[in-house]
Amino acid sequence: MTMKLPQNVSQADFTAALKAFAGIVGDQWVFTTDEDLELYRDSYSLMWGEADERTASAAVAPDNADQVVELVKIANQYRIPIYPISTGKNLGYGGAAPAFAGSVVFDLKRMNRIVEIDERNGYVVVEPGVSYFDLHKYIQEKGLKLWIDCAGPGWGSLLGNALDGGLGYTLATYRSHFDAQCGIEVVLPNGRMMRTGMGALPGAKTWQQFKPGFGPRIDGLFKQSNYGVVTKMGFWLMPAPENHTTGVVTIPRFRDIIPLVDAIGRLEQSKIVQGLWNLSSPTTGTSGDGGPGGGASKQKDSKILAILNDPGGVDMDKLDAAAGAAGIPFWACEFNFYGPKKLIKAQWDCVRDALKEISGAKFKLDEIRALPLSPEELAKMRDAVTLGIPTLKTFDLGPMLSYEGEDVVGHIFFSPIIPRTGEAAIEAMDVFATIARKYKLPYPPVQFPASMFERAFMYVVALPVTRSPTVNAKIREMFRELVLIAAERGWGEYRTAPAFYDLIMGTYSYNDHALLEFLETIKDAVDPNGIMSAGRYAIWPRHLRDAKG
Amino acid sequence: MLTRRTAVGAGLAFGSVACAAGFGAYGQAPGRTREGRSIDTLFIDESFETPRQMAALVEAGGRALPVVRIRLEAADLAGLQRVLEKSQAVVGLSSGATLFCLERIAWDQGFRLTGRSQRCASGPGEACLQDLAAFLGGTHPAASPPSLARAYRPSRADGLLHAWVMRRSAGPQFRQGRRDV
Repeated sequence: MTMKLPQNVSQADFTAALKAFAGIVGDQWVFTTDEDLELYRDSYSLMWGEADERTASAAVAPDNADQVVELVKIANQYRIPIYPISTGKNLGYGGAAPAFAGSVVFDLKRMNRIVEIDERNGYVVVEPGVSYFDLHKYIQEKGLKLWIDCAGPGWGSLLGNALDGGLGYTLATYRSHFDAQCGIEVVLPNGRMMRTGMGALPGAKTWQQFKPGFGPRIDGLFKQSNYGVVTKMGFWLMPAPENHTTGVVTIPRFRDIIPLVDAIGRLEQSKIVQGLWNLSSPTTGTSGDGGPGGGASKQKDSKILAILNDPGGVDMDKLDAAAGAAGIPFWACEFNFYGPKKLIKAQWDCVRDALKEISGAKFKLDEIRALPLSPEELAKMRDAVTLGIPTLKTFDLGPMLSYEGEDVVGHIFFSPIIPRTGEAAIEAMDVFATIARKYKLPYPPVQFPASMFERAFMYVVALPVTRSPTVNAKIREMFRELVLIAAERGWGEYRTAPAFYDLIMGTYSYNDHALLEFLETIKDAVDPNGIMSAGRYAIWPRHLRDAKG
Repeated sequence: MLTRRTAVGAGLAFGSVACAAGFGAYGQAPGRTREGRSIDTLFIDESFETPRQMAALVEAGGRALPVVRIRLEAADLAGLQRVLEKSQAVVGLSSGATLFCLERIAWDQGFRLTGRSQRCASGPGEACLQDLAAFLGGTHPAASPPSLARAYRPSRADGLLHAWVMRRSAGPQFRQGRRDV
């Protein structure tokens, strides 16, 4: 077997580095065989099997942060490009494969300790290998009255998901996972360990209680970047609520989304509505992207279906008229409520008061149920992530079976952030529906924005991934077109797969790419040898920038 | 979807083929080669009706082989981890989506997908059941994992069932229990 070499590294140096790595972690935790490295490919890669597919040259799995320190020093000595992953299951936005082909993956799955959990103050400190399943199980076993906020697939790492800017489904304070973190331990590219915030104070008693620390707050430098290997991270956890319910508001007309979003925005900004809300449409039969709730029944009305299936696009005025004649509301907005019954009732009263001004609005509050739900009640739910229970049910949802005659084997997400207004939502629906029709994507004719972020909408378009290089090339072009169309309108993506890091960073070009230039300046300062996650989120070390010209 | 009559008929055929192939309780076939060693567990995708019927048939047939029903939820996955920790080889009947998830979970326990039946693509007919029985009996020819990894659609929406076998490899086993500090 021919060993794949990292770029600009000699066989002798690579062999010596691998031997030194093995000296730290043990031979059994250094992987170089094709069979083992197959696991570090991105299952959803749009460049699968092509010369440009980014694959690892080897993988190393340390057991603890001290080993990470030693491994990073060795990587510096031999100029080995390294690529840390937590659990490597960030599918849809990239998997375990490196951003720079030939990197040695630092697989941190073995580092799966729950370092500290504090029920009284509501926080946890974890290593990278701790998954949502792991933490949920631990809390259940210990009987702690805490909830986690988990990403859609529960096998992900808390730490990894936060560093990638991932999201969850419970209260707004906890949904944006990087915003819910408090305190980072990181091994810098020179092998020095550092703690952020109050963690910089030896013996600190408030590392997970006071985010600002002293001096500049630099935690954000480690989100979507390549300035170190994060080895511990603290997270604020939510007290387990007493009750949960959902309330649904139906609104008759398409353009009612404008006053609807304005009214909900005021409720959210006032912290009256804190649970996730989700749009669906009884008229189109489409569920929103925002979460597992709010499912809409499939539309059967023939007049409505004819309008929805118009190859030239959906005429919303005609759709409104047909739906109105059939007595079907356009929008259903489902709210999640948590806490004491009297709080839930008060929140629902506020929602009613705010939305009753919309003509034709109807309200239905479901039964307020004491938590935890029984297994039988949970089994009836489409997904339990709104209750802080991790699952893998998101993998059941993919509607795409084939595209251009090829089996769909995965998806990549195009996820622009758009303004939190009904007008912007309407514009985005139109823009992306036009693209979907142009490329004959098997989507519902209208898709809705998601409300996980507190102050902006996110629009999630899942593009198919196949194993055909020809079809994948077409999808890459489609993705590029989407990115550029969005950027023309002032919409940027919040996250992406490695294949599109450079493309998307290129759109964040204010003042001749001042942001990227600043990030590169930091990169050159903290990682002069350019060993750490080269190219992650388009931050390349100097020698590779020079090589790219 | 199979009718009950079809399922029972297929199940009987499955039972007879499986018996002939020698699947049974733990450790009843000592001394087999690596590929031929006995199967520890049968995984059944709880989200499909047909596998549930087949599980019932296996159980009703008095086989000592443990049948583990899989749903992609926290409570079930904790049990799955425990089963994998104790197993060397497992067989399953599931949707592509469930297989995709199980395969990746099992990777961390050192397992690799070594066989998968294409003949289940049109439903669990007799050919599919023969393949499943061959997997259970350890007589199905192994395929290389890379080709298998590329070869199936990780979907539930297509309604297809996959019969498959995973075996513990010499590769890394990451999930050796979470450590508390």
